[in-house]
Amino acid sequence: MDLTRFKECSAAFGAERRRWPRQERPLYDRFAGTLEGAAILADAERTDHFLDARESATPDPGRAHDVAALAKPAWRRFSKPAAALAASAVLGFAVGFAQAHGAADTDSGVAARLLLGPQSLQEIGL
Amino acid sequence: MRPPADDALDHALMAAVGKHDGGAFARLVERHYGWALGFTDRMLGTRPEAEDLVQTAFLRVWQGAARWEPKAKFSTWLYRVLHNLCMDQFRARAAAASEPLDDALAERLADETPGSEERVSGQQRAAQVRAALAGLPVRQRAALVLCYYEELSQAEAAALLGVSEGALESLLSRGRATLRKWLRDDLQ
Repeated sequence: MDLTRFKECSAAFGAERRRWPRQERPLYDRFAGTLEGAAILADAERTDHFLDARESATPDPGRAHDVAALAKPAWRRFSKPAAALAASAVLGFAVGFAQAHGAADTDSGVAARLLLGPQSLQEIGL
Repeated sequence: MRPPADDALDHALMAAVGKHDGGAFARLVERHYGWALGFTDRMLGTRPEAEDLVQTAFLRVWQGAARWEPKAKFSTWLYRVLHNLCMDQFRARAAAASEPLDDALAERLADETPGSEERVSGQQRAAQVRAALAGLPVRQRAALVLCYYEELSQAEAAALLGVSEGALESLLSRGRATLRKWLRDDLQ
């Protein structure tokens, strides 16, 4: 009867003692060293080895960072890309505007004024 | 990978997350993302799905932290959230495909089983285990993942699955018996 239970436990929990329920470990200790018990455990061990071949997923730090960023409000999550996009648009407009007026107005300060605003660096005291 | 120790720290972090502390949330993600992904990956069998599901779970952590009460370990609670999300995913898959799971498994194993002359490499064996686990009935797979890989106690795993410890043992036995049979067939 005890050997039957030993077999049931090895079929459910495998060949390693630490995986067995605490209350069944005395049974493990009693039969593991016997010929019959060792054969039962060897069979369970093959399944353990098969299961051990399953690799553990290695987390992608970038993905974990994205998950952590869930806590940021939406406007903060998208503020940097949005600012970069806006800056590109302003720069593109300024360059395009300067080129369009380049033939008629050779004053290269137009582009600088568009980029820096209406005041020059000297005007703002720098 | 197992959940990190220090339940008191998790409880403190959750209390802070409940007050919308983004830094505490990032710390919580840093502590628990790895094992959560490992568990979910073993349950679902596909990495991209697992990553999406873990993200959803952490979103629920963020949204539900204010209502969270530290009755149990944070990791036990997160296991439950992940497990429930996996079950939802399985139901969605089952609804999308009428193919019986065992047939699907047989096909996958046939695809991934190398020829008799071919040496079984570690990667091939890992792929076989992945396919074999993915082909087990869902509750057997969950029992095996929780008890074998996650090394939860029988009481913890049974509570998570909503079954008695006796029923858990039966799920484990049937799951392992199926794997053993496939393994024997493979060796022959």
